[in-house]
Amino acid sequence: MSDRSNSIFPSTAGTSGGVSIELDGVTKVYPGQGVPAVEDFSMRIEPGELVMFVGPSGCGKTTTMKMVNRIIEPSSGSIRIDGQDVLHLSPDQLRRHIGYVIQQIGLFPHMTIADNIATVPKLLGWSKTRTSQRVEELLETVQLDPAVFAKRYPRQLSGGQQQRAGVARALAADPPVMLMDEPFGATDPITRERLQAEFLRLQAEIGKTIIFVTHDFDEAVRLGDRIAVLSERSRIEQFDTPDAILAAPANEYVASFIGSGAALKRLALLPVTAARLTPVDGSSRRPSVSSTATLRDALDLLMVTGADALDVVDEEQRPVGRLGHADISAALTPPERVEVGTP
Amino acid sequence: MSAPGTADVAGAPADAAATPRDRTTLLGTPGRRLSVVRVAAAPLLVAAGLLVLFLWVRSLELDSIEQRTLNSDYLVARVREHLVLSCAAAALVALIAIPVGMLIHRSQSTVLRTVVLGLANIGQATPAVGVVILLAIVWKTGFSTALVALVAYSFLPVLRNTLTGLAEVDPATREAARGMGMTRWQVLRRIELPLASPVILAGLRTSLVFAVGVATIATFINAGGLGDMIVNGLKLQRYPVLIVGSCLVAAIAILIDWLAGLVEELARPRGL
Amino acid sequence: MDIVLHPGAITGLLGATPVRAEGYQGLDGLQTFLERRSDDIQQMMIDHITVVALSVGIATVLSITLGLVVWNHPIGRTIAVTSTAVILTVPSLALLAILSPLFGLGWGPTVTALVLYSMLPIVRNTVTGLREVPAHVLESARGMGMSPTRVLLQVQLPMAWPIILTGIRVASQLAIGIAAIGAYVAGPGLGQYIFKGLSSLGSLNALNYALVGTVGVVILALIVDAVFVLIARFTTPRGLRV
Repeated sequence: MSDRSNSIFPSTAGTSGGVSIELDGVTKVYPGQGVPAVEDFSMRIEPGELVMFVGPSGCGKTTTMKMVNRIIEPSSGSIRIDGQDVLHLSPDQLRRHIGYVIQQIGLFPHMTIADNIATVPKLLGWSKTRTSQRVEELLETVQLDPAVFAKRYPRQLSGGQQQRAGVARALAADPPVMLMDEPFGATDPITRERLQAEFLRLQAEIGKTIIFVTHDFDEAVRLGDRIAVLSERSRIEQFDTPDAILAAPANEYVASFIGSGAALKRLALLPVTAARLTPVDGSSRRPSVSSTATLRDALDLLMVTGADALDVVDEEQRPVGRLGHADISAALTPPERVEVGTP
Repeated sequence: MSAPGTADVAGAPADAAATPRDRTTLLGTPGRRLSVVRVAAAPLLVAAGLLVLFLWVRSLELDSIEQRTLNSDYLVARVREHLVLSCAAAALVALIAIPVGMLIHRSQSTVLRTVVLGLANIGQATPAVGVVILLAIVWKTGFSTALVALVAYSFLPVLRNTLTGLAEVDPATREAARGMGMTRWQVLRRIELPLASPVILAGLRTSLVFAVGVATIATFINAGGLGDMIVNGLKLQRYPVLIVGSCLVAAIAILIDWLAGLVEELARPRGL
Repeated sequence: MDIVLHPGAITGLLGATPVRAEGYQGLDGLQTFLERRSDDIQQMMIDHITVVALSVGIATVLSITLGLVVWNHPIGRTIAVTSTAVILTVPSLALLAILSPLFGLGWGPTVTALVLYSMLPIVRNTVTGLREVPAHVLESARGMGMSPTRVLLQVQLPMAWPIILTGIRVASQLAIGIAAIGAYVAGPGLGQYIFKGLSSLGSLNALNYALVGTVGVVILALIVDAVFVLIARFTTPRGLRV
């Protein structure tokens, strides 16, 4: 989008990526309740980062997120987007520049999918042609054929399709920031996995700054650049990359939240190249695994084939090294800061 | 209190029908496509009934009293009075009660809401004939009194349906709208009002049909209408007059309900 | 816009000449009025309740029976609900008047009309209630070898009862209001005072009559509604109470 005259955040002029979000000492106390729902929450989120808030229900993660677009007004503290204090902006103006996706989706049942997506552009006073172009573009982005879906009503769509339409609607005015509240929570496991994969692909393209709330730790590991594990009153127990959290949980609480199989979860994050490979020459009879696969895929193959080592091969099927059980274990032991691979 | 989709005690008489999902009407179960049978059934039945009535009256030897009422001039005049009174009342109620309902909803005051809903329940229990006659006693007789009584009587049910309809909008839809940066008025106008319109229209329809019924009572306070025929027929023991009056008023009520049902169905936002 | 005289129409009721209500005297006399006529008022309240209870009772038996017969037949169901809905559309004065040549004056036409008007809410809620019993409950009942009739009477009817009761409650509210108009065909109850107020329009007691009649009906309606809340509490199967 070249025309960013509508943007209220300074640094987004000309770019399509994200901006920073800073929360500083944010507290929410509901009237008549002694204990705050969110207490002294501080965090800095880098531009283009996808941060997962994960924690049990009632821990205040959703409340924290909803204070960013002031659906819930903070009692104290400050929230800055791109350096600008959101409490000094009009809430309505602010929200028009923040994408918002909730679990129930909340598509407007009396409007077509196209009209739903066009909501914010219309609020911002875009021209008709620009709006309709944008709607078409977005429907394609979320893989809904405009010819088929533009004129349909929400109830004529499946759950997964509705969710995609919801994401498209949130992206409509190309907001630099997105807030997502368990967006895939109500879909069945197969649809959820597909939506997650599509979402990662989309985020790689658009690079928004995203706060994503979930209670599913595996989802957090799969999607997040960084994960904030939250406990009561939205206390941050650990805020780090998925790999670092899996490798070294900060405390008992985080460990219990990760549950069993932390090592396996970590392996799924690491590419085979993260292990130290033994150099090989020429071909062998060993089973082979692609160098873009994860260590978990490699371990899986080892278990299934019963082989004691695998050949890691590049795109042209040339072996680049040998990988055995010990190498996989070794990759886990020093919690090295490997670049988080998108699976 | 009551299971969803069933008559709630708070509902106005025929307005046990106010919940959209289980509205059973002269048109049968609504919500699906309008079938020819359903659209045509009510007017055809009414036409057949009126034809039988007409043929029966023609076969009678009418005395002078009966002749004075059972002629087209007199009948048209009474039907007109009746329609003017009931439609004016329903239109006034729509013009006043719906905006007031929007304001109360917008104010987000639970106290105001509770008071209005409580009043609506008491208003519900008040007999229409009592309202009409009391108003005539403390004010005057005639058309304007009847109109005011009708408006007063239908106001609360329509107001209640407006409030209920607006409150019943899915909170997720409302939150999504707020989250996208719509102002409260924009949410009300673009989202809540269209989504509440089926419930609001159902309330209006009920009040219109009710107005036709209560307008019959207007005869007691000299406001004309078809009630005249019923009362005179009864008093003078002229059954043809009584029966023609009753049948006409029943026919009007059924046709108006049918017409309002059609409007309700056609005005329902697509996608619901 | 005062008194409109129609050719051939006799204005006013029972010969009383309607006049503008300048003779209206305020509420000063209300207390004396109540004291002097307390027996009368008490009797009318009892009559009012009796005629409503009788009518709604008859309507309940008829409607539940009808509901049990038609609930599972789409066409029968539509006919039952539609025809009772049409009856409810007919203005009460018209129905009462039509019934009076057949049933005379007094209790006859009043009870008949009230029964007819009370049917829609009860029939509809019976049908809805019976149909809303979850399929898995029906399946497990049949799976245990209960006959369809047994399932209907021992499983569906008890589960539908709260909804049916709501229908009866709506019907009662409806009947209490309409019974007031029944006084026009000499039916029993508080409507008599409302009409007495009309016929004595202009006299000292007109307002007292109409006010006592109208407020009496409101009070009855509220009491009956409260009674229904209690009935609902005590007759709802324990497991269904919220």
